[in-house]
Amino acid sequence: MTLPARDPGHVIAAVSPAFERLFRSEYARVVGIAHRVLADQAEAEDVAQDVFISFYRGHPADASYGRAWLHAAAAHAALNAVRGRDRRSRREAAQAVPLDATAAQDDPAETVAASETRDEVRAVLARMPERSAAILALRYAGLSYAEIAAALDVRASSVGTLLRRAEDAFRRELR
Amino acid sequence: MNNTDIERALGTTEPQVNADDALARFQARVQSEGIAPVVPIARPRLTSRWMQGLAAAAGVVIVASALAVSGVAGSILQIFEPKSVVAVPITQGDLTALNTACAGLNLQECMGAYGTFVWTTQPQPKEVQSRSLASAAAGFAVLAPATLPASVTGDPRYGVVNRSSATFTFSADATRQSAARQNRTAPPLPANIDGSKLFITGGPAVIQIWGAPAGTPGASGAYPDVPTLVIGQAKAPTVSSDGVTVDELRAYLLSQPGISPQLAAAIRAIGDPSSTLPVPVPAELAISHPVTVQGVQGLYVGDNTGIASAVIWQKDGMMFEVIGSFTESQALAIANSMH
Repeated sequence: MTLPARDPGHVIAAVSPAFERLFRSEYARVVGIAHRVLADQAEAEDVAQDVFISFYRGHPADASYGRAWLHAAAAHAALNAVRGRDRRSRREAAQAVPLDATAAQDDPAETVAASETRDEVRAVLARMPERSAAILALRYAGLSYAEIAAALDVRASSVGTLLRRAEDAFRRELR
Repeated sequence: MNNTDIERALGTTEPQVNADDALARFQARVQSEGIAPVVPIARPRLTSRWMQGLAAAAGVVIVASALAVSGVAGSILQIFEPKSVVAVPITQGDLTALNTACAGLNLQECMGAYGTFVWTTQPQPKEVQSRSLASAAAGFAVLAPATLPASVTGDPRYGVVNRSSATFTFSADATRQSAARQNRTAPPLPANIDGSKLFITGGPAVIQIWGAPAGTPGASGAYPDVPTLVIGQAKAPTVSSDGVTVDELRAYLLSQPGISPQLAAAIRAIGDPSSTLPVPVPAELAISHPVTVQGVQGLYVGDNTGIASAVIWQKDGMMFEVIGSFTESQALAIANSMH
């Protein structure tokens, strides 16, 4: 395979315009979904890169199912990644970044408490059935019911029920 | 905890990303790793998700098939020969558990987590130039479809795999050490399973492939061309045991961590494990249901995007499968036209 010469300082035009459009329009969303699960932006961006590579390898850029595929893959890949962490690395990762802006407290005790909470949240997501965990990640990353239905290949009319069940399961597990 | 609390628990800060930088990283990776995009196609083909699901499921076949073992302690009996097939839904969690247990390992090493796996006759695939040569090499008449959808064109390529056999010896020490390496605790191997042997045979098998690349393998880069139709035909696999019974093995394997309640229930529900081949079906990716094919009961498995189909059946001591990017009726028409 002959590669085009590199042009320093300029993005190499290695992908089709259609793929570039898809990447630009969906990258933030894919990272957002993974971030809901991983709570680590660098890790979420790594997952997003892997997801786009998988799509690039296996699917036409203009595939009608492209966005839904990317959303589902982001959730599943992130859940796989969080399950792959051992307990210790999860704790380290949780302590590396604050839970959210409001949790970035100066009080070390609150910071530790927030980190422990988030550590438990990831553990709960890892234990939950795949579809339930995925639907939470997708919904709380801002996807509409229609987008969730497309991503998880379920009827749009079922999303509300599935989401409520997932939320109930999440609450029970987190107690 | 209300929905706001859940939102808070799942993180409320939207990550700030730079799509330009990310795209540059993506393109650099595509270039440095020589990753080729999928070739645009005029019709749907097998998706990589499907292929990944099948590949992962193939690993589960080994575990699930091992469940279909029964016997009488102290005697060597042929105790498994499939007469029918049944779907066993495998969740992503099951695959993850399996991948975790076998991460980066080949079949032999993965099986090594529970004992010693030794090929007595290695499978050695080879390509032959015609169906008659494939029949001669395999020792059985290779069936071919009489009708094909318009999407399948050209001549097939033929692969033959010799009759292969292996012995697996359960080892409590290996199980314990493997679990320790993975920082997990496995249920102790029962004393009567420790040291017992399974004798596994498979094949010969013939694979007919339409749409496979005829040029140099891998010439297109990291993404291999995907066949439009694959037909497999093989002597049904058999498993013999010198001691362990199906109930003992089933109870032990079901006690492993990471097996979902759904998978456990499906395995328990297999009526006659000595003659039923469990076919793992990725629960999130595929649908399946029994079908009548060639006058016997078989199994239809479909990618839930509607892109890919497989029909699997057993007849007269042979296992058959038809896989391709078809509708269910097209896949069944191909399967029923085999002669």
